[in-house]
Amino acid sequence: MSNTISIKNPQAVRSNSSSETNGLSGSPGRPKSAESKMLGDVAELNSKAIRFKKFEALLECAVVDMEQLKKLSWMGVPEEIRHTVWKLLMGYLPSNSKSRDDILKKKRGEYLEYVHQQFFEGKSSLDQALVHQIHIDILRTNASIPLYQNTIIQESLERILYIWAIRHPASGYVQGINDLATPFFQVFLQSYVPLEDVERVDVLRISQDSLNEVESDTFWCLTRLLDGIQDNYTHAQPGIQRQIARLKELINRIDAQLYAHFQSEGVEFIQFAFRWMNCLLMRELPLKSTIRMWDSYQAEGIEGLSEFHLYVCAAFLVKWSAELKKMEFQDIIQFLQSCPTATWGDRDIELLLSEAFMWKSLFGSSPNHLKPS
Amino acid sequence: MSKDDEYDYLFKVVLIGDSGVGKSNLLSRFTRNEFNLDSKSTIGVEFATRTIQVDGKTIKAQIWDTAGQERYRAITSAYYRGAVGALLVYDITKMSSYENVNRWLKELRDHADSNIQIMLVGNKSDLKHARAVATEESKTFAADNGLTFIETSALDSSNVEPAFQKILTEIYRVVSNNALKAGESAGGPSLSGGKAIVIDASQPAPVE
Ligand SMILES: Nc1nc2c(ncn2[C@@H]2O[C@H](COP(=O)(O)OP(=O)(O)OP(=O)(O)O)[C@@H](O)[C@H]2O)c(=O)[nH]1
Ligand SMILES: [Mg+2]
Repeated sequence: MSNTISIKNPQAVRSNSSSETNGLSGSPGRPKSAESKMLGDVAELNSKAIRFKKFEALLECAVVDMEQLKKLSWMGVPEEIRHTVWKLLMGYLPSNSKSRDDILKKKRGEYLEYVHQQFFEGKSSLDQALVHQIHIDILRTNASIPLYQNTIIQESLERILYIWAIRHPASGYVQGINDLATPFFQVFLQSYVPLEDVERVDVLRISQDSLNEVESDTFWCLTRLLDGIQDNYTHAQPGIQRQIARLKELINRIDAQLYAHFQSEGVEFIQFAFRWMNCLLMRELPLKSTIRMWDSYQAEGIEGLSEFHLYVCAAFLVKWSAELKKMEFQDIIQFLQSCPTATWGDRDIELLLSEAFMWKSLFGSSPNHLKPS
Repeated sequence: MSKDDEYDYLFKVVLIGDSGVGKSNLLSRFTRNEFNLDSKSTIGVEFATRTIQVDGKTIKAQIWDTAGQERYRAITSAYYRGAVGALLVYDITKMSSYENVNRWLKELRDHADSNIQIMLVGNKSDLKHARAVATEESKTFAADNGLTFIETSALDSSNVEPAFQKILTEIYRVVSNNALKAGESAGGPSLSGGKAIVIDASQPAPVE
């Protein structure tokens, strides 16, 4: 039995160098002569530089053209400026550069006030069951990445989740939300250590003020993200149920054979797709891949994120169609519990995203102007 | 991949209990002899199988590991249907996980088949210095409620193998008894994967 339910450890096998800044990593599956490979790399570096310039030009404007920013971001955001771009895309920073500092100051102050209110009496005054649930989950969050082993980081994430939970009693903290906080946290922290691999950074060298900023910014961006998908986490998780029903429908249209095979094997979509919806595929992908994916997710807008995610899930499932069609029930479930994505890089994600985009254009609800009058 | 597909019986078993008591690690210890240092919380339900021998018969256990958090109960309880056994796990160092055992029993009464075999499992027995639930107390509780009881450690493996062996054997006894009474053999060899489960015609899966 080769596919067991072990949660993969994708980060451990990935190189430390970020594929975003490392333009020299060629695609492994494509044999090329050394010379043409080098030429290809040069071209890629050039196009990266051009893209970077375009981002810079946009961000320098007094008022950022958000439509342009979304368009550019969809194709991936350079690591150096990702923190700012994400804050803009999430609507946390205003497009008008003049008011940005004030807003940041206000929001960060507000969050620190929440922390103070909750925590100044010490841990014993907190909701102990909630503290416990969040704590055991944070201990199990990205346990293979050194950054998340650090207690300062763990406590910071625990505060974010605790405060989010008590401010959102309709859902409260739901397992999996811990995962969703980490891309923001990691991207924002990266901006304070631009030259280092944030996943192995020495946290003690980062000032308390900086850490507070990262924590506040993460809280607000996570809050915005969850605002758009809150019914994924309320009682009986209706948002997820709906998404799974739609995924099933979609697969029936995209890949009827796979759909029929699942039916004859007794495979239910909820058995594998529940986690895909609950954690936005984060459990199926290396963290760095998720971060690249979120460039495009945020470019789709908070309102469009759930919708687009549905098509990404469809593209993700259909990707393994050939293998899955040869499998029986148990092997299907076990395969889908630990999809072989440990070596995925940005290119794999981009392929997935473009397939999702295609399915969405084909099957998505047509905009009004396309409807027959 | 499906070499272990020759079996006499296929039993569906569920792992339930509070979040963090060690259900996922008990499962990985039993099916792969692994303790996962970077394990993550279970979202929804996960699944693994292992085949063992009981009385010369080959028994395939299809084990569904469920998420412990209350919010997931609506989703996970659908998986109880068709299960012939349940391991109800608590953490011997965490009193609240033991106090919740009654709530889990009620979940089973509400959603599982009435003849399901239930085993109470006190996990993390390696943490002797931090014990909060006395062995005798759980033993008495189990006896009063007609459950079998065992203490395990997924970390140092103690009693994990016996726990699963024991519940699967009990299930087998019940099933083969029923089959004798009914004068028919329950479940033939090489049932196609994931389809047939003995005791009641049942699906491995909840219907949406
Ligand atoms: N010392 C000790 N620790 C254990 C044992 N079993 C599990 N753990 C630890 O307890 C924590 C929770 O274990 P899991 O197996 O993830 O718990 P779970 O019951 O599956 O939790 P949910 O998926 O959230 O419902 C992990 O940090 C494990 O390392 C054990 O036998 N001994
Ligand atoms: Mg688990």
